[in-house]
Amino acid sequence: MGAGGGFMLAESIKHPVEHLIPYAVPPEEFSSGIATWYNSICGMCPAGCGISVRTREGRAKKIEGNPSHPVNQGRLCALGQAGLQVLYNPDRLTAPMLQSGERGSGEFVQTTWNEGLSEVASRLSASTNNDGIYFVSEGVRGHLANLFELFMNELGSANLLHYDFAHPHSLYAANNHIFGERQLPYYDIRNSRYLLSFGADYLNDWLSPVHHGLGFGHSRQGNGDARGRFVQIEPRMSISGASADEWIPATPGSEGILALGIAQQILAGGNYQGTDADDWNAALATYSAAYVEDKTGVPADTVARIASEFSHAEPGLAIGGGAAGNHTNGVDTLVAVNALNYLVGNIGKPGGVVFNPDPVVGSSTAGRQANFAAMQDLAENARQGAIEVLIINNTNPLFTLPPGAGLKEALASIPLVVSLSSFMDETTAMADIILPSHTYLESWGDDMPQPGVGFSVGAVSQPVVSPLYNTRATGDIILGLAGKMGLGEAMGWDSMEDYIKDSWRNVYERGSPDAGGFDSFWREVLTSGAWGENTRNSNSVVIDKQVIDNIAVAEAEFSGNPDEYPFVLHPYLSTTLYDGRGANLPWMQELPDPMTSIVYGSWVELNPQTANEMGIQDGDLLRITSEHGSIEVPAVTFPAIMPDVVAMPIGQGHEEFGRYARNRGSNPIQILAPNMDAVSGSLATSATRVSLAQTGRRAAPVKTGGESRQLGRNIVQSTGADGDSAGHSAKLNSIPIVVDPA
Amino acid sequence: MNIMERFISSWQKYRKPGYYEDFDYAWTMSIDLDRCTGCSACVTACQAENNIPIVGEKELAKGREMHWIRIERYWEGEYPNAKLKFIPMLCQQCDAAPCETVCPVSATYHNQDGLNTQVYNRCIGTRSCAVYCPYEVRYFNYNSHHWDSPLEQQLNPDVSVREKGVMEKCTFCIQRVRQAKDHAKDDGRRRVQEGDIQPACVQTCPSEALVFGDRKDSNSKVAKSLADPRAYHVLDELNTLPSVVYLKKVDSDG
Amino acid sequence: MSVSIVPTLKVLLPAARIALVALIGLIGGYYANAMFFPGTSPEQPIDFSHRVHAGENEIPCMYCHVQARRSISAGVPSVNKCMGCHTDIATDRPQIRLLASYWENKEPIPWVKVHDLPDFVHFTHKRHVQADIECQTCHGPVETMDVVSREAPVEMGLCLNCHKDNEVVHGTDCWTCHK
Repeated sequence: MGAGGGFMLAESIKHPVEHLIPYAVPPEEFSSGIATWYNSICGMCPAGCGISVRTREGRAKKIEGNPSHPVNQGRLCALGQAGLQVLYNPDRLTAPMLQSGERGSGEFVQTTWNEGLSEVASRLSASTNNDGIYFVSEGVRGHLANLFELFMNELGSANLLHYDFAHPHSLYAANNHIFGERQLPYYDIRNSRYLLSFGADYLNDWLSPVHHGLGFGHSRQGNGDARGRFVQIEPRMSISGASADEWIPATPGSEGILALGIAQQILAGGNYQGTDADDWNAALATYSAAYVEDKTGVPADTVARIASEFSHAEPGLAIGGGAAGNHTNGVDTLVAVNALNYLVGNIGKPGGVVFNPDPVVGSSTAGRQANFAAMQDLAENARQGAIEVLIINNTNPLFTLPPGAGLKEALASIPLVVSLSSFMDETTAMADIILPSHTYLESWGDDMPQPGVGFSVGAVSQPVVSPLYNTRATGDIILGLAGKMGLGEAMGWDSMEDYIKDSWRNVYERGSPDAGGFDSFWREVLTSGAWGENTRNSNSVVIDKQVIDNIAVAEAEFSGNPDEYPFVLHPYLSTTLYDGRGANLPWMQELPDPMTSIVYGSWVELNPQTANEMGIQDGDLLRITSEHGSIEVPAVTFPAIMPDVVAMPIGQGHEEFGRYARNRGSNPIQILAPNMDAVSGSLATSATRVSLAQTGRRAAPVKTGGESRQLGRNIVQSTGADGDSAGHSAKLNSIPIVVDPA
Repeated sequence: MNIMERFISSWQKYRKPGYYEDFDYAWTMSIDLDRCTGCSACVTACQAENNIPIVGEKELAKGREMHWIRIERYWEGEYPNAKLKFIPMLCQQCDAAPCETVCPVSATYHNQDGLNTQVYNRCIGTRSCAVYCPYEVRYFNYNSHHWDSPLEQQLNPDVSVREKGVMEKCTFCIQRVRQAKDHAKDDGRRRVQEGDIQPACVQTCPSEALVFGDRKDSNSKVAKSLADPRAYHVLDELNTLPSVVYLKKVDSDG
Repeated sequence: MSVSIVPTLKVLLPAARIALVALIGLIGGYYANAMFFPGTSPEQPIDFSHRVHAGENEIPCMYCHVQARRSISAGVPSVNKCMGCHTDIATDRPQIRLLASYWENKEPIPWVKVHDLPDFVHFTHKRHVQADIECQTCHGPVETMDVVSREAPVEMGLCLNCHKDNEVVHGTDCWTCHK
């Protein structure tokens, strides 16, 4: 027995057998032990940064920013880094599925692509009314967007919608209204000396955060002695607010009035010399500093000082968005912000607003973006029985639309719901047929990022690994459906790769088609990861007199009366989860929120004074109630928020979407009122009033940060603006290393 | 050399003042607090590069964080003049590291590049080093970790996966340093030059707040950072001689 | 009064004898395992003989193990590589037919790793091969082996001794070999 025991002991401590598995035929660029890098485009948010992915033995290991891409220049944000967890997520959909039970029951059975595609194709062909076919996709650009247009055109349906929760509808509308521009302009933060931001969280989620981060860094400390100044106006301090030199809380919804007040001060101070000065003066007469102070809560002398600083900066830049753009007066607010840019004359100048040329790659799809009004219409059409087939691609309206839109109930009236998503989120769970797409790291595609960088920039997205599962690229699914339906003429490409390559011949022909031919051009585009061309838009701007005369910002409207609902709810896009898409990524759940250091949950932020008055302590579970619902969320005191405003991050509160996201936290969108901006039809996310009540229970959020005050430890040190930077070195105890010239 | 001779030469090496002048390289990181926006891209980049496990909500509730670099936030003042300041905190690679002195098995030591390294195989898990570290940047593996398949496909083959009972911390991406030296050798024995190697956090920082380099190279950006009037070391009074230099945030009034 | 311990010991004597025999058996069994089943010479899916290829036919190591000079891993030849010769050579032999069947099914051959270093070890073939160290130094006389067997102990001592003897720069630094 002893011998047996000894034998087993030796056996058990042996190293387990490993195998060496070569390829049958190795790919050309493969070398075991040496990494292969592929350039592609990040798909985690609409900014469209270029990425370089490090792969070892066919597996993606690390995503880095692509240094050649003008948008992010080698840098990447946290969500972008987490793209690997989208690719290798354990809860990915792995094969086409059919709902075998009742819709929403979760009883899916696997099927083959042939069956799945045939089923959908036959249902599409059998539809009696072409306009009964609806395609709702996440916002896409480039040639995939073109493919969707082609497909819907062939089907004879005009109902192609792109739906992103955070799409800046009001910004597009405002730019169109005052400048006549249909593209988003490039906001040159890098060269700005004074950035006046009305609610735009430009370092966190507004438009192109990585590019803005680069610009911010440069403006701060990359410009010799000139240091840019950043002023943030919002009711709750955001990430950008934390980095600002001055944070100004203004009554929610009054940011536009403040902007016009500043504009009026610029005119009153004689700092605008344009020929239309009289028109402006007349239009802005109401917005005196006293009026502005009354409506916004910002002291009159602050308004005057900011106006002076802004107009004397060379140059000053005003941007708006975030909560300010998401009120019932959102468009008017952003028009006012644009007016400020016009008045200081920064249009088309470095450090100002630079208009972008039309996209060269793919078509402009801003017109397809569905605002809240359009989604409400969709729900109404469904209820009327006008929708026969609804195809969803990688967007989650059941999570990001307030229940007031009535979409969930309306789905019951749609005979066929097809989803092309890669994950089982709330919307996909209601599908009848699922044809899952590849993730962006496995797909061919292209993009022309918006708002771009002032000149034409494009890139091609290529697969960095072989597809993991039995999924297909979205474009290939569309081409497959087109094939089954006999739409071969107009959509005769064999695959998405062919389509993209073919389409880029047009781009190739724009340049001087000389040395090498298309193949070497294509190779260069892929190996560098970016393509550009010096096409610019004209930046001369004339503002219509009508526009000036009618410039005004009404007070924002809110749902709920202030007596019953004393607080304004300020939902904001979370740094880690964005609009909820990061919730199934464990890295993002575990990443502490930078402002509060909370992980794995939701919380509501209260002003400490308010909390004190209401007897609320950190960790008390509160019930937040609006006219449209209520949720339970733990309270956290937050020093930089207005006393009658409460803020909550968006992103948690999923019911589906995988093991890391499910049944965690609460979704503030659920209790939002379906208020809209009158002009743009976009959801006024900041227009809901709520009341708070103690539930009597506690649910302390998990924080990784400790004491949030320095208590004299001098860990973060700062210097006065003109203080230590003059002359003497800081005292360091370390002994400097001196190297003899070698 | 035999054991005794080697021991004596090691001892003499560390006892000599200015011993770090004999380093091959003196890797230094400079963190500009005026540029840091608190976006936390560095935290995720480090997680991806160094096989840092997901510890889960329960462990985090016990205070068992596992992020080799963290963003600390400090509030100052009250509404409406509240200010929030961020500071990335990672292993300072101290030249006079308190953690090195206490390890009973010498699992953490100073290597020839001026880095404070942790040898996972040697560590027996007394956790004294974490107690001695004034910056609290050492993290202990209270559990062996599990990656839900296929998340383990993302693991970096150049970095070990640590087991239960082992201490870990930022290494300035020593695997990248090692690779940079390898490439330099391929190019014919030249030194690793400025820009050849960047740790994951430095590479991804959108506002370029983190800068990495060799302070022995007088032309490097970090050497210039050290000479910047805004430069300081955190907890300088403890005299740990950190290799991470911070540049003060510029406070403008208003 | 004094109490003797001897009666207690007498009772335990049979138990002690059994324990002693068990201990001897344990040690014996351990060494039997180590001697007769060392796992240094595992069975491979195809009876590839280095003696025939590298010895008799004098094919250089790096013809098949292509990466050895430029990568951390020496690489195992792809099925493609084998078929490069064996599409025509010795096609009637059963092992070659087995190889061909892998090729036809486009399946890679699951070789069993003989020289398996633990995952926390960083060993780079590139630097060693470029330092003109012969493959045989660590892998033994492979060109005489019909079945590859592990000659050198895969232990830290092997690496460290060589590094010390050759006075490798920073050769004894932990992080030179550990990850």
